[in-house]
Amino acid sequence: MTSNPRPMRLAVWGALAAIATGPTLAAGTDDVKALKSEIEALKKEVEELRAIVRKQVPPSSEAVAALRQEIARAQSEWKDVGSTKHFAGYADMGYTDAKNRRGLFDLARFNPAFHYQYQDLVLLDAELEIAVGENGSTETGLEFATIGLLAHDYAVVYAGKFNSGIGQFRQNLHPGWINRLPSTPVGFGHDQAAPVSEVGAGVRGAFPLGSMRATYDLWVGNGPRLELNPAGDEIEMIEASGATGDPDGKKVFGGRVALLPLPRLELGLSAATGKVAVVQGGVAEAARDYDVFGADAAYQWRGLDLRVEYVEQKIGDQAASVAPEGGRWKAWYLQAAYRLAPTQWEGVLRYGDFKTPHADQNQKQWALGLNYWFAPNLVGKMAYEFNKGLAGAPTDDNRWLLQAAYGF
Amino acid sequence: MIKLYAAALTMAALLAAAWPMGAARAEEKKLDPAAFARGAKAWADNCSRCHNVRDPKELRDDQWKPVVTHMRIRAGLTGQEARDILLFLQGSN
Repeated sequence: MTSNPRPMRLAVWGALAAIATGPTLAAGTDDVKALKSEIEALKKEVEELRAIVRKQVPPSSEAVAALRQEIARAQSEWKDVGSTKHFAGYADMGYTDAKNRRGLFDLARFNPAFHYQYQDLVLLDAELEIAVGENGSTETGLEFATIGLLAHDYAVVYAGKFNSGIGQFRQNLHPGWINRLPSTPVGFGHDQAAPVSEVGAGVRGAFPLGSMRATYDLWVGNGPRLELNPAGDEIEMIEASGATGDPDGKKVFGGRVALLPLPRLELGLSAATGKVAVVQGGVAEAARDYDVFGADAAYQWRGLDLRVEYVEQKIGDQAASVAPEGGRWKAWYLQAAYRLAPTQWEGVLRYGDFKTPHADQNQKQWALGLNYWFAPNLVGKMAYEFNKGLAGAPTDDNRWLLQAAYGF
Repeated sequence: MIKLYAAALTMAALLAAAWPMGAARAEEKKLDPAAFARGAKAWADNCSRCHNVRDPKELRDDQWKPVVTHMRIRAGLTGQEARDILLFLQGSN
């Protein structure tokens, strides 16, 4: 007996189809139900939201105007406040390798500066100098602190401790990120030929003079102090940094005037005169003459920056003193810096000469430098100094200098 | 001592002259349409007399104000030049 395979095959296919489709149809029915319930829920939510929106009132034009006013007030809030302030300053780090001395990191200095202005009337301007000393101690000093009254467009009246207005270097060029070389020109350091600072009061400003512009600075202060040599019979140096003491009781009057015949050409003359006295055991001797003279010029043209400056301090004789002889401390320098556009490199050349009554202080110097400006206020400097001083003295040693300086 | 008193008298006279102009100064703020251009030129001419010019975007408007006043004193700018430079810096940052 032979069986017919066709009905059998149909039965098998039918069974398979039932297995395959049966559960799917069942699942599809459940999904539809779930979807329906979700749609219903969504419809309900939409109705609720519509009801909320219907209840809301559109903002009035007055409310919009008030909001806009509030935003404008917030944006210009700083203009309405009485006081504004800014924290500024600079820092420099350096390495020196001098002949007859091992190379060392000899500079880590931070000069924070504070500017507080009240309206358009007053500026408090102060700067500290914080530096690491040779023995690891931290030396802190007040570089300057003045209250300046903006009297009118052509005058600012100020009082406090201020950078000396004699010449340009001490008042404007000495910060590391401004000075084009890592070192100070010979004679322009502390207790050398150029006065550093003063405690007193003054008035300064600028005014148009035809097609030119003129600037002026007039001040009165306590004046410098005199330091004697170890034997106590000669004036060793002039301590011309500002102090609140004035042993001789006589003030020093000074001033500087400058003309700018071109926008980037400045020609300045400065002078000061007064009295100063040697102090012995806290008692001032008879006063003697103190006179200062300075001349400076600066010119910028494209990448070129040229500067020349002369300064001298003269102490008069005083026969009744333990150190009867006075003397003259004078210094000058000529500097040229050139920025190699469009690169960030800058070359610098400076010659300086410092003459005093003491051979061990005298110094002539050629300095050659190469700078790289990472930013307008961030510079890396390398320089070599050819120094000529008293044989065997540090002033005679040539040296390499490296410095990083940042102004902010 | 006489010189000292003379100096004090000069300063007092300058101060006395200050206040009326201080009042006028506030009124000038909105006026001059050429101030921005003048400020740009004064910024370029004066800042580079000592140091590289600083990008106006370095500081906010409120920070530039005391900085420019500091530089007015230090660099020998007139009040008008300082206001022009401030306007330029605040308009360019």
